[in-house]
Amino acid sequence: MKRSVPLLIVFVIGTFLLASYFFDFTLPGTSITLKQGASTVNNWGVIITAFAVGLASINLLRIHGAKIINQRSGWINSAILILTMFVFIIVGIYSRSNPDNEAAARLFSNLFNYAYSPFSATMYSMIAFYVASASYRAFRMRSLEATLLLSAAVLVMLGNAPIAEQVWAQFPVIGKWLLTVINTTGQRGIAIGVAIGGFATSLRILLGFDRGHLGQGD
Amino acid sequence: MIEGTHFVFSAFVILGSIIIGVLLATRNGKLHPKIRRIPALDSIEEAVGRATEMGRPVHYSPGYGEITTSTAPQTFASFDVLNHVVALTARYNTQLIVTCKSPQSFPIIQELVREAYLVAGKPDMFREDTVRFISEAQFAWAAGVLGIFTREQVAANIMLGYFMAESLLFAEGGAQVGAIQVAGTGNLAQTAFFVAACDYTLIGEELYAGGAYLSQDASKVGNLAGQDIVKMLTIAFIVLGTLLATAESDWLLELIKK
Repeated sequence: MKRSVPLLIVFVIGTFLLASYFFDFTLPGTSITLKQGASTVNNWGVIITAFAVGLASINLLRIHGAKIINQRSGWINSAILILTMFVFIIVGIYSRSNPDNEAAARLFSNLFNYAYSPFSATMYSMIAFYVASASYRAFRMRSLEATLLLSAAVLVMLGNAPIAEQVWAQFPVIGKWLLTVINTTGQRGIAIGVAIGGFATSLRILLGFDRGHLGQGD
Repeated sequence: MIEGTHFVFSAFVILGSIIIGVLLATRNGKLHPKIRRIPALDSIEEAVGRATEMGRPVHYSPGYGEITTSTAPQTFASFDVLNHVVALTARYNTQLIVTCKSPQSFPIIQELVREAYLVAGKPDMFREDTVRFISEAQFAWAAGVLGIFTREQVAANIMLGYFMAESLLFAEGGAQVGAIQVAGTGNLAQTAFFVAACDYTLIGEELYAGGAYLSQDASKVGNLAGQDIVKMLTIAFIVLGTLLATAESDWLLELIKK
């Protein structure tokens, strides 16, 4: 029962949504079409996700709440996290419930634009430094593969550097060839494999052959 | 039938039938497909073993993917490997930390891990903070995971699923704390980052082979074999298309548009 009900729900909803991609007709005994029905089912998904956010937030509160209560190392960070979470929730709900209150809307917008966004951009910008350190490790000539990787990277970099073209006019040609022929060929091969793998996995889940996500217990 | 979907529907029925046919034949013992060695999957036990020796935790991330979007197959493929990782950490008595970004997959992962510990006979190893929801916002999640790497000094970092820009942040963060790293994603743009920064990487479709390879479950192995036959047919189709295009025939192109 614990497994068969979720499997049945997955099969019925999955087949319904899949059918809406290929067919469109008025559902028997109703005035709505298959596509409209599929759109309604998708909206159910949004509602379920909202509940899932609530469940996940409880986990966040319990883990960090316990850390604060027990004054474990770094508890101050947990306190800031919970405080920030509640400030965002309260200001967000208040500004949405009172659309005429411009001050609340401005506060929410300022919190997002001047607190959340800069932090988010900071994390993203760290990637540039990490690219350098990861490349350094990957390009060390420890094996034939690493040497090929380094050679290809140097040629592509030279192909994109204006000064390299002044040294030898063929650098951009070689760099472009590596990117558009060698790289694209490999990428397309992998992309086709990923797409077929995704299709096969989806089919296995839809038809209930895969039950790993339902746990191992009875 | 909706105009323009005839070919896709026919392909879906034919290719789907091949995959399910091979899956059933393998399950009934009529076919015995073999899976080649995949070093990245073999290395998972080595990673957990190393974490055990060092007395430090293992971190597992199922990635950025959801369970209701096109990234769902990669997330489900990750769940298969997660089952194996939980069993290994239970066997070696090693702490596991699973970090989640998706609120949708969080309750599934929580139940999956709890039950896997129960099946392994170690229900006490599942703690409130074994599976942690960090944030739905991409870089808040990334910052949270990097914080866990540093504070808890993870010794093994396993990242399997759909990843985006956070892939390199995680991989480099893991490398900085000296963790042995196994990663895999179907997102091509991020694969290069994993190859550069991790010890072992699953490339492309190898991610989907994880469950079959580690469990040797007949349904999963059969599914993988069916997938390979479909791949061969796709290659034959591409070659046919190339030949027809060279002969200036657009017959195949018109067929696909139907």
